[in-house]
Amino acid sequence: MIETVFGLDLLSALVVLPALAALLLLVLPQQKRLIRWVALVLGLGLAALAVLAFRHYQLGEPGAGYALEQSTPWFELLGASWHVGIDGISAVLVLLTGILTPLAILVSWEIEERVNMHMALLLFFQTGLMGVFVTLDLLTFFLFWELSLVPMYFLINQWGGPGRQYASVKFMIYSLGGSLGFLLATQLVGWAVSAQLGAPSFDMVTLTETWPVLANTVGATFLGIPIETVKAFAFIGFFVAFAIKVPVWPFHTWLPDAHSEAPTAGSMLLAGAMLKLGAYGFLRLVIPLFPDVWVAELQILGLPATNAATLFAVLAMLGVVLGAFAAFAQNDIKRLVAYSSVNHMGFVVLGLAVAAQAWGEQFIAGGTERLQDAILATNGAVLQMFNHGLSSAGMFLLAGAIYHKTHTRDLRQYGGFWVKAPIYGGIFLFTSMASLGLPGLNGFVGEFLVVRGAWPVFTLLTALAMIGLLFTGAYILKGIRSVLHGPFNMRWRDTRLEIETREVLAIAPLLVLMLVTGVAPNWILPVINDSVTRLLGGLAG
Amino acid sequence: MAFDFADFRFVPWLIPAGPLLAFFLIMLISNRARLLPASDQAYGGHHPDYEGMEVPVVRGWSRVLSVVIGMAGVLLSLVVSLHLVSLGWGYGHHFGEEVFASAIPWLDTGTTTFDMGVLVDPLTVIMLFMVPIAVLGIFIYSIGYMAQDPRQSRFFALISLFAGAMLTLVVADNLLLLFVGWEVMGLCSYLLIGFWFEKESASAAAVKAFTTTRVADVIMLLGIVYLYLETGTLSFREILYNPAVLQQLATTPAIILGGSAAALISVFLIAGTIGKSAQFPLHVWLPDAMEGPTPVSAMIHAAAMVSAGIYAIIRMFPLFVAGADPHHGLFNGPLLLMALVGAGTALFAATIALAQNDVKRVLAYSTISQLGFMMAALGIGAWVAAAFHLITHAFFKALLFMASGSVIHGMEHGEHHVHEHAHDDDHDDHHGHDDGHEEAFDPQDMMNMGGLQKRMPVTFITFLIGGFSLAGFPLLTAGFWSKDEILADAWLGVTHGYLPHALVFILLALAAFLTAFYTMRQLGLTFRGEARTEAARHAGLGRGVVSVTMTLPLLGLAVFAILAGYLGVPEDFPLFGALFSPEAVGGNRFHHFVIETLPHNSATAFFAAVPDMQASAPPFMLVPVATSFIVALGGLYLGHRMYWRRPLRAGEADPLIKVLGAEVHETLRRKYYLDELYERIFVRPSFWFAHRAVDEFLDRGIIDGILHLIGRVFTWTGDLLKVLNSWLIDGVGDGIPEGIVALGLRLRHLQTGRVQQYLLYIAIAAILIGIVFAASAGTMVTAG
Amino acid sequence: MIPLWMYLVVAALLFCIGIYGVLARRNAVAILMSVELMLNAVNINLVAFWRYLAPQDMSGQAFAAFVFVIAAAEAAVGLAILLFVYRTKRSVIVEDVNLLRW
Repeated sequence: MIETVFGLDLLSALVVLPALAALLLLVLPQQKRLIRWVALVLGLGLAALAVLAFRHYQLGEPGAGYALEQSTPWFELLGASWHVGIDGISAVLVLLTGILTPLAILVSWEIEERVNMHMALLLFFQTGLMGVFVTLDLLTFFLFWELSLVPMYFLINQWGGPGRQYASVKFMIYSLGGSLGFLLATQLVGWAVSAQLGAPSFDMVTLTETWPVLANTVGATFLGIPIETVKAFAFIGFFVAFAIKVPVWPFHTWLPDAHSEAPTAGSMLLAGAMLKLGAYGFLRLVIPLFPDVWVAELQILGLPATNAATLFAVLAMLGVVLGAFAAFAQNDIKRLVAYSSVNHMGFVVLGLAVAAQAWGEQFIAGGTERLQDAILATNGAVLQMFNHGLSSAGMFLLAGAIYHKTHTRDLRQYGGFWVKAPIYGGIFLFTSMASLGLPGLNGFVGEFLVVRGAWPVFTLLTALAMIGLLFTGAYILKGIRSVLHGPFNMRWRDTRLEIETREVLAIAPLLVLMLVTGVAPNWILPVINDSVTRLLGGLAG
Repeated sequence: MAFDFADFRFVPWLIPAGPLLAFFLIMLISNRARLLPASDQAYGGHHPDYEGMEVPVVRGWSRVLSVVIGMAGVLLSLVVSLHLVSLGWGYGHHFGEEVFASAIPWLDTGTTTFDMGVLVDPLTVIMLFMVPIAVLGIFIYSIGYMAQDPRQSRFFALISLFAGAMLTLVVADNLLLLFVGWEVMGLCSYLLIGFWFEKESASAAAVKAFTTTRVADVIMLLGIVYLYLETGTLSFREILYNPAVLQQLATTPAIILGGSAAALISVFLIAGTIGKSAQFPLHVWLPDAMEGPTPVSAMIHAAAMVSAGIYAIIRMFPLFVAGADPHHGLFNGPLLLMALVGAGTALFAATIALAQNDVKRVLAYSTISQLGFMMAALGIGAWVAAAFHLITHAFFKALLFMASGSVIHGMEHGEHHVHEHAHDDDHDDHHGHDDGHEEAFDPQDMMNMGGLQKRMPVTFITFLIGGFSLAGFPLLTAGFWSKDEILADAWLGVTHGYLPHALVFILLALAAFLTAFYTMRQLGLTFRGEARTEAARHAGLGRGVVSVTMTLPLLGLAVFAILAGYLGVPEDFPLFGALFSPEAVGGNRFHHFVIETLPHNSATAFFAAVPDMQASAPPFMLVPVATSFIVALGGLYLGHRMYWRRPLRAGEADPLIKVLGAEVHETLRRKYYLDELYERIFVRPSFWFAHRAVDEFLDRGIIDGILHLIGRVFTWTGDLLKVLNSWLIDGVGDGIPEGIVALGLRLRHLQTGRVQQYLLYIAIAAILIGIVFAASAGTMVTAG
Repeated sequence: MIPLWMYLVVAALLFCIGIYGVLARRNAVAILMSVELMLNAVNINLVAFWRYLAPQDMSGQAFAAFVFVIAAAEAAVGLAILLFVYRTKRSVIVEDVNLLRW
């Protein structure tokens, strides 16, 4: 199989080429048609590379750890290196990002102003995302993490809806606020580990081996501070940054604003790929690095003793339930879809909380009673990340399609569109049902696995989360009823409402994936299962 | 494992494949529309004309092709099903322990794999007999019923998906696949109830159906999850045929709420059935589901949706019985729950049905009531009787719905006729039912009917057969035999002095009486006497394809509504037992066939730990049979007296109002005000919570409030720093040059322009410097 | 032989007279002349120091010669300026020439 592209290894190419492609777009002559086609072709080429990377992992030896690994010294003084590699979890997200970008480009054909800049920003954004997903070095992880903010800020700020100023600034500042702690925690971890190893290192593989057992080697204190405190600070730093990105309730209010004001392609990538950064961060860093912190007993305000993992699960449950209620309350179609992300990512978080609890217990006490629960929940969480990427991107595409034609996002202005737009109606229904988690479509498999994993670990919380699942149905039906059902609003009598062929082409791959994943999830699940089992079981030894 | 359809174990996979394939083919290929003005005749029926706006209307060839594809799909599954039915029926005594099953790996779960598969056992076989036949009838009927609809292709696609989902559910070998079919059916019912989505009421009914069943489904999902957790599998065979697993489930304490794991799982699963099979308190969606086209009602009420709930419980029955033995008076929570809910619902729904005037609504409540019979039967352990009633009910209820659909169609036809003649001049501007007329005239209201006996004789006869079967008219109809078996099972328990059996027996007997009464009331109001409106006077199906396709299925199903019962005649029933269940064919054929589905003989060592699911059919007893006779005939007689012998005239009030009293009647007519109650305690608080509490208070108020507060604090700090900057840093920066300027302004006074003054300064300076030099020279000298 | 200090006293007196002239006289010509006096006072010092302290060196005389030249040049330039001032101002009183003030 191909392992190098233009002399670069495949993963580095996935990171570098989008940026180069973006630069190319900026220097091309300013003809919209040309730019659009070139951008699409470049996007598709990159998608092919992403598929290639995924296939590479899929066909590789099961349980072999990271595939396509490459390491080159980069900033030796700090111990940072250009270390890339993918396991099943990142392979899935690389695939998702790779697929979504050309579709976003295709949807962006509707953009008429500064086309080349718009397309270039989408590709720059891809660089940021791919960088986070493939890197195995904490410092470059942080670098790409921050890098991904910038293009999105400009996409919202320049091409967004009426409230774009507020939304983009809120998005940017909120994310940067989280990054602050992230940066400090990164340095703390790097410093402590270098004190332990004698040489600086930000390599994630090394970190996951050395940091959790820091107390064994460094002693009870570091820099005169008890090691527990150091760990707790680093934990909080990481936690807040990733929690904002996911977003975990109550760090979610940037999301409805950013999503609803962003241009369609921006919303697609934001919900489809960017939210996964946070969950990926938890899975790659916070859960492996802090098993003892997750399950350390906490006493808050006289409440029964609990631990961080349980609190995390409580937040997940609140995200599921309150996200669904909030979505139900919206009258703005894009805000409704945006809140559905809070609801769906809540399930991801619930799965992650189970993994944190189980891995923590396993780390402290040994034993594998929770192992199967944790594996199922984490499988479900990762699958849910992929599924949510498909369905939320699809939903935003459809919301954008209708917004583009009616220039309003107010659900109360719609009504009965199924009369005039039968194809749009069919696709809207299909995507809504995938989002709702209808068995037979993709959303269900992930949710089923998460609930199965979470039920024995967080029984009551899971039962409460079912209320959220119920109201998922309520808000999805509200969306369908407002847009498609009811008497036709004669205001749109002469407006063309049917979906464009271009938009059908952009959403078709998503629909196919939704159906295939729902009917035969095993095309992707072994990839996830393999890595998750290794992550939770392999690290135990 | 690869699919190999030459191997008969893989054949069940093909059963749902036909309709599912038909769904995709119609949706992706054959569903083609052209744009027509909405005022065009082709866009008539139930749709508004939208001031002549252009709307898509299905093309002629697309209509035909879609019907053909849909029919082909259902015929394929019918053929395959009947093949399997004949294989299973002739398999012999071991069918049940041995089954046609195959599975493929579906999902990796850690180091294990979840398998998805199909299973055909005796229970599946009887469902495979009932479902495709009923579905075929419904499909044929839909050709005519939907012939005027501009979206007939879509209708066939959806109804194919519906059938495919039901068949998936029937052949599933595990609870997850069953749940897939279960939910897809939920979606289909949502889409089909809301098929005429322009009508607010249809759209609302669709949402209500989906939401209400979803309440149940999420609870059921928990049950599935919990079962999966405890057993590590969801396969029916692995759980139900495994005494060790059942034993463990019955003894493991539940994860929450006390009780055993088996009981909690059972309660969760029963909740699912309460939603799907429309039992109290989640029955509210089913009557509203009448907003859909009538074939859909038949589909939901007979062939698919509601049967699925009962089927799922029968399928998993050993789980519900785990740790109990109803045939020996040992009850557990889940069984009591089923018995109470079922018997209560049966009576409760029957009372509501008394006071309904909508021809389909009466049937809807009768469905709820009949499902209550099955549920109650399951609660007392009579699962075979429940299965029997499930089958017979499906046939006669499909028949009744389609017959009522014919009535409605006929009424619409009559209304159309009247309308055209009244407005001969401007009939181009109006067609079918546009907005104004829909409100004025309700073709489903029985008060508008009357006298249809003469106008629609075939419909009348078939409706009569269906109605009598529903009422349990003794000896002749299928409904009698199945209902009788339930009552017999209950009585058997009563003879042993078991209280739940007694309760079930009394409530069901009362419900059966009411059923017979309201059936007769419906027949009388609809068909008897003189027409009460002009539309009823001109009602009729017309001629041609529409009439033929809508009549044929009625005749076919009428046959089943009578004959299906003779499969399960108790062998010791006087005369009929010898006639229909002779020793030569092994007695009560239905019972002996179906009972093999579940372990039923605890004498064999293998099932020693599993309680006896049901040893044999109850023996012939006089009391239940007499009760059956009395309630059916009594109810029919009473109805006959009140509505048949002296038919209602136009403008006359329902005689029932006088009998019951206006207040009671109104309470029944308003369904005990449950819809209003739910509106007040569930729907409105949800809206309030979502809008006020979560969106406005929590998200915009508190969370965004805190964010904005943080933002404001930083802005304020920034302002402070700005002030600080302007006087401290700017003060210093600007102060230095300003000071220099001020100094210069003072010093410039030295510059007088007078040379001599300058010279004086120089002289003074020279002298001073000289002095300093002198002094320092001195010190230097001293120092040196 | 006349002792050195006598020469120095004479030179100092001459210098003081020159300074007084420079500072006190209003007539520019008189000021120039006073400057000449000061220069010559310096010349006396130079020559006297040369004669008494370093007769073998020529530098004292050379300095004195320089001063002559400078004095001559100064007088020439100074008188030329004065002439010009006189032509424009019709006066050689220094108080009247105060254009370079603040």
